[in-house]
Amino acid sequence: MSTINIEKVLDLKGLLCPIPVVKISNAIKEIEPGNVIEATATDPGVMMDIPAWCASTGNELDSMEEAGGVITFRVKRLK
Amino acid sequence: MDTREKVIQELDKRYNRLVGTSATNLCTHCGWCIESCHIFKATGNPEHSPVAKAEKVRRVLKRKHDWLSRLFPKWTGAKDLTESDLDEWIEAAFKNCTLCERCVINCPMGVETPQILATARGVLTAMGKSPEILNQLTDAAIAREENMEMMEGFFRKQIANLEKQVQERMNDSNARIPVSEEADILYVPLSGAHTMVPAALIFNAAKANWTMSLFEASNYGVFVADIPKAKKVVERVLKEAKKVKAKTLVVTECGHAYGVLKWEAPKWFGKQFDFEVKSLLEVMNDYIQEGKIVLDPSKNSEPVTYHDPCNIGRKGGIFEEPRNVIQASSKEYKEMTPSKVENFCCGGGSGMVACSEWTEDRLLYGTVKVEQIKKTNAKKVVTACDNCLHQIKELGEKNNLNISVSNVSEHLANALVFS
Ligand code: SF4
Ligand code: SF4
Repeated sequence: MSTINIEKVLDLKGLLCPIPVVKISNAIKEIEPGNVIEATATDPGVMMDIPAWCASTGNELDSMEEAGGVITFRVKRLK
Repeated sequence: MDTREKVIQELDKRYNRLVGTSATNLCTHCGWCIESCHIFKATGNPEHSPVAKAEKVRRVLKRKHDWLSRLFPKWTGAKDLTESDLDEWIEAAFKNCTLCERCVINCPMGVETPQILATARGVLTAMGKSPEILNQLTDAAIAREENMEMMEGFFRKQIANLEKQVQERMNDSNARIPVSEEADILYVPLSGAHTMVPAALIFNAAKANWTMSLFEASNYGVFVADIPKAKKVVERVLKEAKKVKAKTLVVTECGHAYGVLKWEAPKWFGKQFDFEVKSLLEVMNDYIQEGKIVLDPSKNSEPVTYHDPCNIGRKGGIFEEPRNVIQASSKEYKEMTPSKVENFCCGGGSGMVACSEWTEDRLLYGTVKVEQIKKTNAKKVVTACDNCLHQIKELGEKNNLNISVSNVSEHLANALVFS
C-alpha cells in the first residue's frame, strides 16, 4: 500500500467558488510532487470544480467525501 | 519569429473598426475620463487613468496604423514595441482595468478604452503572459464536459443534498431540482449552492417548468480574451439547451456570463439561438408582475441597497428588474449614488477576484464602492454577480462596514411565502 504524504492542510470552509480552486492552485505550487493537500470546504461547488481543475492541470484527486455539509478532499501534486 | 513580430501579428488579428478608431486618432487627450475611473480615484496615480492605460497599447498600434505616426512617430508619441512594454500591458490591462466601461460613457469622443485593453489581454494570452489562474479556470470548465462521466456523479450527489434543503424550506416533499431534463427553462447556475438553492425555491414556488444545467455559467475565457476557448465553454450549454428542448435559457446572477450568453455568443456563432436568453433577474421580476410568487417584505426588514454589476447594468441594460425585485421583497430600499449607468465598479470585475496576487490592489480599488455603500446607511448590500458579491463581502470585512451581502435571488427567496 502506498503511503500518503499530506504536506498541507487547508480550511476552505465558508469560501465560495472559485476561491477554493484559487487557494488549491496556489498551495499546490508550495508542496513537493507526489505529496498531497488535504482540504475541507463547505461550498458544494467544489465537488465539481476541484475534479475539473485536477483533470485540466494534470493533478490527481485522491479522494473526495461529504459528511454533514463538509466536503473533505485530497489532491496529489503529480508533476 | 521574434517576440516583437509575434505580438504585432497577434495585434493585427484583433484589429477591428472599434479598436482602430479608438486606438488611432479619436482620443484628444482631454482628460475627461480620468475621474470616471474607480481605479484612478482610489490610487490617484496618473498611470491608472483610462487615457494613460490605453496609451500604452495605443502608441504601438498608432505606429503601424496611423499615417502621421508612421512618418513622424515623435510628434504623435507613437513607438515601436519593446519586450518591457508587455509587462506594462499586463499591469494596465489585467491588474489596473476591470473593463467596466465607465470611462467610455464619460468620454466625449466615445473612446473604447476597455476594448483597447481587452485587445491587449488577448495578445498577452496568445503570448502565454495572462494570469495563470484565469487560464486554469477556463480549462477546468472545458474539462468538466470532457470528463462528464465522472463529474455527473459528483454533481447529482450535490444536487440531491440541495434538493433536500429546498424541500425542507418549502415544507414540500414534491419540490424538485430536475437536472438536465426536458423542460421549457434551462437554468444555468454557478458552482456555488447560493446560485442553486434560491433559484430552485423560486422556480418551485412559481411552478415553473424548469431544469438545472449540468454546467456552470461562468466563462473565464472572456477574461483572458481567448475567444476559441470561451466558445467551447458556451458550446457545452448550447448543446444541452438543444437536448432539453429549452425555450428559454436563464442565466444566473453572473455579470460576464449574462453578457457572454446574451450578447457575445450569438456574434461568435453568427446566429440567433432557437431559445431566448434571459437573466434570472428578469425572470424573478416576471414572476412578481404575473403574481406567480407571494412575498412578505417584512422578512427583509433591514435597509438594503443594490450594487449594479457593470456587466448587468451599464453593459447589459438591466436596471429596473433587480430594483423591482428588491423593493417587492424588502421593507426599506436605499439607492446608491451614483447608480445605474453611472455606477462605479466594485473593483473586483473581469477576473480580479480570482487573481490572488493582486488582492491588496483589488481591495484598494474598492475604495469608491466603500464610500458609496457608507453613504446609503444600508445594512445589506444586494448585487447580481458573483465577482461583485465576493468583492463587496471582503470590502465590508476589511472596512468594518457591518453589512451583510447577498445576491438578489437569495434576498427574494428569503421573502418567499410558500402556500
Ligand atoms: S479617452 Fe476620451 S475622455 Fe479620455 S482623454 Fe481621450 S478623448 Fe478625453
Ligand atoms: S474600463 Fe473601467 S477600470 Fe478600465 S479604465 Fe475605464 S473606467 Fe477604468
